[in-house]
Amino acid sequence: MKLFCLGLNHETAPVELREKVSIANTHLGIESSALVEGKPISEGVVISTCNRTEFYLAADSLEEAATTLADHLQNRFGVATDEHFYEKHAREAAVHLCRVVSGLNSMVLGETEIFGQVKKGYAAALEAGVTGGVLNRLFQRAFSVGKKVRNSTGIQEGQTSVGSVAVDLAEKIFGHLKDSQVMVIGAGEMSRTTAQSLLSRGAHSMFVTNRSYDKAVDLAAEMGGSAIRFDDWEESLKKVDIIISSTGAPHHVIGPAHIEKVRRKRKYRPLLMVDIAVPRDIDPAVGEIDEVYLYDVDGLQELAAEARLRRQEQIKLCEAIIEEELAKSQLPGL
Amino acid sequence: MIERWLIALATAFAAFAAANAWRSITSGARNRLTLPLLGATFIVQLMALGLRGDVRGACPLCDTGEILIFLSWSLVLFYLLVGAAYRLSLLGLFTAPVVVTLQAIALIPGMMSKQPTRVDSTQSWRETHAALSVLSFGALALAAVSGVMFVILDKLLKEKKFTSGLFNNLPSVHNLIDSTKRLLIIGLLILTIGIIAGFLAPSFEVNRHLIVAGIVWLAYAVFVSVTYVRGLPPRQIAFSSVILFGISLLAFGLI
Repeated sequence: MKLFCLGLNHETAPVELREKVSIANTHLGIESSALVEGKPISEGVVISTCNRTEFYLAADSLEEAATTLADHLQNRFGVATDEHFYEKHAREAAVHLCRVVSGLNSMVLGETEIFGQVKKGYAAALEAGVTGGVLNRLFQRAFSVGKKVRNSTGIQEGQTSVGSVAVDLAEKIFGHLKDSQVMVIGAGEMSRTTAQSLLSRGAHSMFVTNRSYDKAVDLAAEMGGSAIRFDDWEESLKKVDIIISSTGAPHHVIGPAHIEKVRRKRKYRPLLMVDIAVPRDIDPAVGEIDEVYLYDVDGLQELAAEARLRRQEQIKLCEAIIEEELAKSQLPGL
Repeated sequence: MIERWLIALATAFAAFAAANAWRSITSGARNRLTLPLLGATFIVQLMALGLRGDVRGACPLCDTGEILIFLSWSLVLFYLLVGAAYRLSLLGLFTAPVVVTLQAIALIPGMMSKQPTRVDSTQSWRETHAALSVLSFGALALAAVSGVMFVILDKLLKEKKFTSGLFNNLPSVHNLIDSTKRLLIIGLLILTIGIIAGFLAPSFEVNRHLIVAGIVWLAYAVFVSVTYVRGLPPRQIAFSSVILFGISLLAFGLI
């Protein structure tokens, strides 16, 4: 029995092609079964995420498996297996799966979501009864290797996007965010993304203000918050804990005087200010106020880039662990 | 003198707790041992104080060594109460060295009487006054420790230095301010009761000790009132808790 893998991902195929072979979570079991039923393939697992679709097969003949799978993709998705697909055999396929599970092949290096997504694909195939001695051992081994890679290296340390860096800082200042109130000044895409990250980590209420009140209402509705007219935002300063600002204003929107005016009313509570605008919305002098923690887009991007670099530096170490762990295990099909 | 050996053992536990906390910060490993090690320190301190109290027939606060041991015991007591409640495991890293220092001083020959004499007549109010006053300083010392932790975290946040193990392991700004404020109010309340007990003691008299105690109490009372009623910037709370504690300790040391 030989191990065979065919797939495409964000590095090899454009989104137009990836979406054609994308499979919903609820259909993974059915798709795995369809690979095996009535075909010269003994075992099959399908993994599908927004960035990749991969087919792992165990068959007596690699050539036959490749031909059968190519036909299946043509008939089922109307897609030919061209240069956008990669093919891996035996040990190479096992190494590839370990890299995928460890987040080494992900768009965001070291991201953790892929681990669960691969587990879902495998669980669906297992439930459908189309896995056996080769793929069961391969996937179980890959999961334990993935865990080891993540636990013993820094591959998932630090935050790699501006939004998640901002959320980490918010948690360092406020602990949990469930009592934190957020004000978004300017309804741009960056502030929307950052605000969503904060909401997803528990921030419990949100005020949105924008020069165009209608846009503020739209974003507030989307976030489950409330809109404030642009002339009234200063009034809300006394109750918020986090401010995200990204207006298109050519000058500073918030200066030290705005904060000084409300410090007593706020009882000097810490205030996190995230300035994502260019030119900056918040006068840097605001950051000199004791209880204000001010970060601009350059600072956040620098942090995200540092984390990405640190993760890049861990790749060799991760690969060495994968090689070592696979060498230790006598997997069938390699 | 078995108490000295017990204090040496408690000091070793505290030193080990500090080393373990430091190791976990530098290696990134989870800090599991600091809390149990300081728990062991607390038990051994209690045994030493118990033996000493038994010999004295009174609260063991009769010489400088005993006062220092009682103070470090109360510091650990409040760490165990607050550290666990606030998940401030790193507080151990900052508390343990203070405990080691206080107890190391107590172990210097001459600090702790080798042949402690039994106290002839004890006055319950006076005993209560002494015990609560030192206990309150345990809480105020820990408030100062928490204040130091805040100052470090605040500096790292303001200077955007987010990659150190220390930064990752420090509790949140909110937790540190909250624990400092709570420890200050607990310390002040215990100190207040201690001072009232002093007034009720039959041997009460106006002397330098009373004047210093009154000034210290007043300073803390004003500081805590302003913090809770009007509010103060976190950095001022932290610095004030450290400075006030240092001055109080110095003032009592001088008299």
